[in-house]
Amino acid sequence: MQRNRRPSPQTVNVLRALAADPARWRYGYDLATEVHLKSGSLYPILVRLADRGLLETSWEPGVGSRPPRHLYRLTGAGREFVAALTAARRDRSAAHPHRRLSEA
Amino acid sequence: MPFFIVFLVTPIAVAVALYRRNPRRFLDGPTEDAPLRLLRWAVSLLSPQRAEWGHAMLGELGHLDGRRRRMRFALGCAGAALILPPWGRAAVGLWAAIGITAASFTIYAGLTVHYQLGVGGWISLAVVLIICGGYLLGASALLRRPGIALPGLLGGVFATMVGLSMAGFTALDQVTFIPSPWQQWVRVIAVPAAIGAAGTLWRRDPAAGRRVARLAALSAGLLQLLYGTVAVAILGSGGPPDAAGGGTVGGTVNERLGNNFLDLLVGTLIIAMVGWAAAALAGYLLRRTPTPAAPLATDPVQEV
Repeated sequence: MQRNRRPSPQTVNVLRALAADPARWRYGYDLATEVHLKSGSLYPILVRLADRGLLETSWEPGVGSRPPRHLYRLTGAGREFVAALTAARRDRSAAHPHRRLSEA
Repeated sequence: MPFFIVFLVTPIAVAVALYRRNPRRFLDGPTEDAPLRLLRWAVSLLSPQRAEWGHAMLGELGHLDGRRRRMRFALGCAGAALILPPWGRAAVGLWAAIGITAASFTIYAGLTVHYQLGVGGWISLAVVLIICGGYLLGASALLRRPGIALPGLLGGVFATMVGLSMAGFTALDQVTFIPSPWQQWVRVIAVPAAIGAAGTLWRRDPAAGRRVARLAALSAGLLQLLYGTVAVAILGSGGPPDAAGGGTVGGTVNERLGNNFLDLLVGTLIIAMVGWAAAALAGYLLRRTPTPAAPLATDPVQEV
């Protein structure tokens, strides 16, 4: 059974980084550097997102002695999920303006 | 005597075996460094459904330069590979091992508080926790190897039951048992060797036999620790006086818990090493045994 838990802050950061330029394919290491996550945290997040159909993956062919590289970007469902997350956050902020001020 | 043989031979045997398996293991080359080997090992533990993610990690590592950066990336990925589901049946074995460890730790902590074992007691408890954490990590890696979980866990239960049968099942037996020479040989040589050899014959593969022996060693160690800790909880400072404990209640309990910890380390090492040697020997004998020729489908005489 698929559980629909609220995503962790780290997962939200990964989703936002991917949603910043949704058409662009991203490398795992670059993504980890951008969201300040260690590889041990990033890959389980990517696996979960792919399992939920929010992330699509592809392979970039290897060049010379370098091996093929895995690429990631959001699927259509992933983009909708990020949009819904952003909207939910906006609603929460509107309902609790003091909280938003304290977060700022 | 058997203890001395095992302890003397163990480091030499490990060094020789590792060197024979891969002489370049200890050398770094331009294409084969420690991070790559670590990550390859971790990726090999992933389930077939997650194999693509293992290749993704290896592919990413192939594009990283700098030893430190590569090592940090590989360490992180190795940690991720160790926890990535799905595990299937192996998860059941691991949860059982975690439950046994948690029970031992809880009772141990309760004894530390109840008998006011002081700072030394808490330090011992922390050391036991760290060692058991290492055991669980090792077990989690072994459990996910195909065909290892069942024979390994059965081997651990078998070794524990043989040990308890010889010592006796009561709490007092756990504290007072001193094995006779033949019991020592059975515990130290016969049982671990039987586990290693049976593991090899089960899978017809000496590598599988060695893994079975290691998993049996870890699971037997954790089971015996639980049984011994429960025995101390039941007995407390009762039973025969313990001179090494200084004659005080806390000292006696502390001494008995310390003995359990030593049994955990020594027992695990012995089963793993003797089982490993027996698995290798069984594999060697298997290779030397000629396989019977397949019967001919037709009689050549009739064909002529």
